[in-house]
Amino acid sequence: MHSELRETRLPGIGTKYAFETAHGARVAVIQHVDGTRELYVFTRADDDEPRAVLQLEDDESRQLGAVLGGAYERPKIVEELEMALGELAIEWVPVPAGSPAIGHTLADCGFRARTGITIIAILREPEPVTGAQPGDTIQEGDTLVTVGKLGQYPEFRRLLAEGPIGDA
Amino acid sequence: MTLSQLALTVAILGGLGLLASRFGLSAIPAYLLAGLLLGPNEPRALSVIEPSEVTTFVAELGIIFLLFFLGLEFTLDRLLRSGRHLGLGGSIDLVLNAAIGFLVGLVAFGPSFAAVILAAAVYVSSSAVSVKGLIDFRRLADDETDVILAILVFEDIVVAGVLGFAAAGGGGVSPTLIAVAKALGFITLALAASRFLPRWIDLVLDRLPSEFMLLFTFALLVGMSAGADALGLSEAIGALMAGVVLAETSIRREIEERFLAFRDIFAALFFFVFGLTIDVEALGDIGWLLALAVLLTITAKLVGGYGAGLVGGFNKRQSLNVGAALVAHGEFTIILAQVASDNTDIPAGDRADLVAFAGLYVLVTATLGVILMKESKRVGRMLFASPRLERTGNAL
Repeated sequence: MHSELRETRLPGIGTKYAFETAHGARVAVIQHVDGTRELYVFTRADDDEPRAVLQLEDDESRQLGAVLGGAYERPKIVEELEMALGELAIEWVPVPAGSPAIGHTLADCGFRARTGITIIAILREPEPVTGAQPGDTIQEGDTLVTVGKLGQYPEFRRLLAEGPIGDA
Repeated sequence: MTLSQLALTVAILGGLGLLASRFGLSAIPAYLLAGLLLGPNEPRALSVIEPSEVTTFVAELGIIFLLFFLGLEFTLDRLLRSGRHLGLGGSIDLVLNAAIGFLVGLVAFGPSFAAVILAAAVYVSSSAVSVKGLIDFRRLADDETDVILAILVFEDIVVAGVLGFAAAGGGGVSPTLIAVAKALGFITLALAASRFLPRWIDLVLDRLPSEFMLLFTFALLVGMSAGADALGLSEAIGALMAGVVLAETSIRREIEERFLAFRDIFAALFFFVFGLTIDVEALGDIGWLLALAVLLTITAKLVGGYGAGLVGGFNKRQSLNVGAALVAHGEFTIILAQVASDNTDIPAGDRADLVAFAGLYVLVTATLGVILMKESKRVGRMLFASPRLERTGNAL
């Protein structure tokens, strides 16, 4: 049986998602505006005090969600990937808000020439850029999919966050 | 206020706030109490800080930030989605509590503008105290929490309207009507602006380095406050509307994150500075009225919230929780009294009474309200049969 997930806005607090389990318990997740989550567990659906309340940071919630969703096969895959790649790494690097690279093309930025890191794709809404070209422009909120040597990443991240970008 | 006094003040506020939160209480009454004790009025043993231009200015910034953040939460879409509890539950609460507040105001000030302000001050519960209680006492997953929050939103909207003319009304019928019209006009204009301005604001602010984004946002906020002030409205309504306009922009989240610290510091100082001006002696012969108002408030909020809960389809225990969560009064009661205290159309004696009343009334209700909230489930279990039995009873 598929149980119905109810979504409710809590003005000033965030959003509440609640559902009842097949075994008669009730679970509610409060997503606070500041990104933290709270997980309320009621042993029986009409209990008026929660059995447990768990406070989770953003990354913890994602991890728990992955485990619960059965998607947490990752460590093994990552291990194999690391073996296959050897010294090379593939990293997902979010563009920091306020990065000087925003609004510049990949060619302008010259990351490959300056750090050795190659940008192979750009993840963005609504449509990701696969096979990134020198003429593609970096936008706010982008995540760059990159290939490079591990040692080259600190310089790359610094450049992405602080510049200088372009002819400076 | 000198730097050393400011340091002392902020340290005391931090200490008291921490102490209050240890006992599960809201920090607002703690800040008020600090102001009351350190201020120039009775008790005088600790009187070290005099209200001055600096304290007034700091308090003004406090009001501006408090209302700015409230405005940021208001968007038309969100209000519409607050749904079915908003209208009916909110109306029950409004009619009952505004009536009681007006009654107390009539006894205190006679049929006057001050009585209207008092009605609003007694009507509006504290979103800040209530929400903190809901989080602390782990009530967020409860179904009746939706009703509580909807009623709080309803109250804030009503009082935002009153706030618009609280600074200017009271000098006879037609000037008051003009003030009301001006306030409504300003709110309408700002709401209209919130429909088309955000796109342009986005275009400009989104491209600026974050430091300047901060400055321009602040300029807009203070500018709209000053504009409202110049129109003879209160700066509070200007700040609220600045928030409403920016609520629809894509940088809302960033603004909230960056200004949160400002709000917390200046709001604490605002409550403190308000505490400085509370003159317990000014209360004099209306002390009994305060006691009466507290009693009436507790009764009316419990009954109103209980009614709103039952009407919303909740059981008796849940409905009691709704009532208990509405007893605490706080920021808006204080802000109303503060704004009205600058209104020269209200007799000076009445203004001093309003300030003292609001301060002490918040001290008492914010403390009692939190205790009531904490105990409401236990009380509910003692008073009312389990909803499971209740259902079976109905079935038979």
